[in-house]
Amino acid sequence: MFPKQEVVAMLLAGGQGSRLGALTKKLAKPAVPFGGKYRIIDFPLSNCVNSGIEAVGILTQYQPLVLNEYIGNGQPWDLDGMHSGVNCLSPYQAVDGADWYSGTANAIYQNISYIERYDPEYVVILSGDHIYKMDYNKMLEFHKEKGAACTIAVIDVPLEEASRFGILNTHKDGKIYEFDEKPEHPKSTNASMGIYIFSWKELKKYLVEDEEKEDSSHDFGKDVLPAMLDAGEKMFAYPFEGYWKDVGTIDSLWEANMDLLDPNVTLDLKDIYSRNPMMPPHYVSSDASIQNSLIADGCNVYGNLEFSILFAGVTIGKNATVNSSIIMPGAVIEEGAVVQYAIVAENTVVGKNAVVGEKPEDVADRDKWGITVIGANTTIGENTVIKAKEMIEGNTEVNANEK
Amino acid sequence: MRSNNVLGFIFASTLDEKIPELSASRTMASVPIGGKYRLIDFVLSNMSNSGINNVGIVAKSNFLSLMDHVGSGGAYDLSKRRSNLTILPPYGGKTFSSYVETIYNMHGYIENSREEYILISPSNVVTNFDYSNVFDFHSKNNADITLIYKHGVVPGGYDRPLTIDVGENGKVNQVFIKPETGDEEVNQFYGSVLIKKDLLMQEIRNSLSLNQLDVKRIIQKSIEKFNVYAYENTGYCAAISSINDYFEFNMDLMKKKVRDELFNPKRPIYTKVRDDAPSKYGLTSSVKNSIIAQGCVIEGEVENCVLSKGVYVGEGAKISNCIVMQDTKIGCNTNLNYVIIDKDVTIKDGRSLMGFDSYPIYIAKKSVV
Repeated sequence: MFPKQEVVAMLLAGGQGSRLGALTKKLAKPAVPFGGKYRIIDFPLSNCVNSGIEAVGILTQYQPLVLNEYIGNGQPWDLDGMHSGVNCLSPYQAVDGADWYSGTANAIYQNISYIERYDPEYVVILSGDHIYKMDYNKMLEFHKEKGAACTIAVIDVPLEEASRFGILNTHKDGKIYEFDEKPEHPKSTNASMGIYIFSWKELKKYLVEDEEKEDSSHDFGKDVLPAMLDAGEKMFAYPFEGYWKDVGTIDSLWEANMDLLDPNVTLDLKDIYSRNPMMPPHYVSSDASIQNSLIADGCNVYGNLEFSILFAGVTIGKNATVNSSIIMPGAVIEEGAVVQYAIVAENTVVGKNAVVGEKPEDVADRDKWGITVIGANTTIGENTVIKAKEMIEGNTEVNANEK
Repeated sequence: MRSNNVLGFIFASTLDEKIPELSASRTMASVPIGGKYRLIDFVLSNMSNSGINNVGIVAKSNFLSLMDHVGSGGAYDLSKRRSNLTILPPYGGKTFSSYVETIYNMHGYIENSREEYILISPSNVVTNFDYSNVFDFHSKNNADITLIYKHGVVPGGYDRPLTIDVGENGKVNQVFIKPETGDEEVNQFYGSVLIKKDLLMQEIRNSLSLNQLDVKRIIQKSIEKFNVYAYENTGYCAAISSINDYFEFNMDLMKKKVRDELFNPKRPIYTKVRDDAPSKYGLTSSVKNSIIAQGCVIEGEVENCVLSKGVYVGEGAKISNCIVMQDTKIGCNTNLNYVIIDKDVTIKDGRSLMGFDSYPIYIAKKSVV
């Protein structure tokens, strides 16, 4: 018997995140390292804890090993309670067969029994690919105040970018009358943040109905939410102010990391919890030069660093230069190598005098430049040149003479 | 290996009186060191990594910071069904100045534990050491007592160093108390010893009945009665016995060889975790030859320094040869040289503080300069 929880959070973490290419080859997107010591999932998980949510189900499907291991018993987030906490929920076999999660709504549908153990009034649906800090409690209060069946968090985006988002058109009081997925001519600038609060009774009804529709793709955005709106359910948009970024692409992931170095960006990392590697403080040598960068424990810096983020245990060799780049845990940039506008994944070695990525001549001209990505456990041989926008798959070896 | 037969027993207040500034509100064991650690992290991690499951820490006074730091021992993997960490405050409210009385005072804890052997250790030694080798050595030699020693110059704070003459086979030939050693390299015993629990308690009771409370004399005499062996710690090993030792050890961390040895990833040093963000270097920062923990924000110049968690260094600040403990704020345009700054200190803008190589000055916890 589980004590009742007013709110249960369900975190959708099963997507492949194919737009992150080499970075998600062996890793679910929410487990992608972010911000020098975190993984993307630390943000929604920490938000849950800081909002007082004690029961969190994480729906996993694609490459769950690292994610499962990272979440573990949930202790770093205080989600290791005796009767509640965090659980990784993967697809399972049952008497009447076994199914992969066929869509976001189906993933929740298959775990109705998990949710009902806690007999909740409300369910929060979150996704594992956004960087933001938010008090879900305030949103829940809004939801209760409006007597809504569903509340969707929205953020005001610039009009010229609105056509990249799912736009919610609302009445003055916030009541939603239309969903507009990536509209060519947006009527408003309220972009959905992929954060939903449902009254559980209503959600359950629509999940069960949706499951019976053969033509449904069992997706929240495409199927469940429109069905609720068509049926005349009270659905509201909750306006959120603050930093929020979808990090589903290489460019946006890189930008969100760089935002941490921008004094004008309001996101601070206080109260974001993560697993901490057992490494000593980092060392900066007499030859090093470091400007505007973030450095985690266990690093050894002998070279030059500008506008970059070093995760735990990274080594930057003598006379190496790292500029506007993200270097993930355990990577080594050897002597004289140059890494610019690049993401170097875990445990990769960039050999002596190799050159990875290019510095754009004009940063504003986004067509001409891009971020170079080197996958995990890869060796870039001495003197090898990897150009802008290139993506090197993980677990490989690239040498100058082969190129 | 999680099945060994040795009880760990640590004295938290080793040489507290030798670092009165740092131990004003804490024990030697909980002195912050190396940017993110407390002294006891080293011995506790070594014990845990050597497979010791059960550790008692004798706390005499000022042990709030110690209790806060080690907690239930989870950080060292010592809080499991089959592993334990116990803080042993004065039993019956009594504190003793001699080891003999202190150990006797804890006889209930020692005798009730299921282990057959006991490994006694001070808390002021920084090393990365595998005790299981000592146990194998002890068993192989059929020893009654094995002393762990370090070959080197005696650190300045030891008033009555205990040095030993070791034969080729590792047997102790002679024990000296307070020899005139000067700069000579000797085999010094810092207080780590492996012995059977029964034998220890028997000797403690004997000594008490004879009113012999000087543990060094007892060790000196023991070679007449028992098989006493000595095992050398050949790795990096620093005993903190004065504020100068403390300063020197922190500066030793700038050497790659020392860091590689102390922070061997196969035998990690554990500590209580704090959720600090990675350290942030500003546009005007310049950092040379320094150890920096997480959560720092650096806008100024830092050279030959150890900065703990959450330290702030303002723009235009110049700090050299300093050890700065956690959450201290160093204001803009300050100038500090050879200063040890305790926790939560505020150095206001424009201040200058100068110590000297052989005489670093100390700024107490929560001071405002």
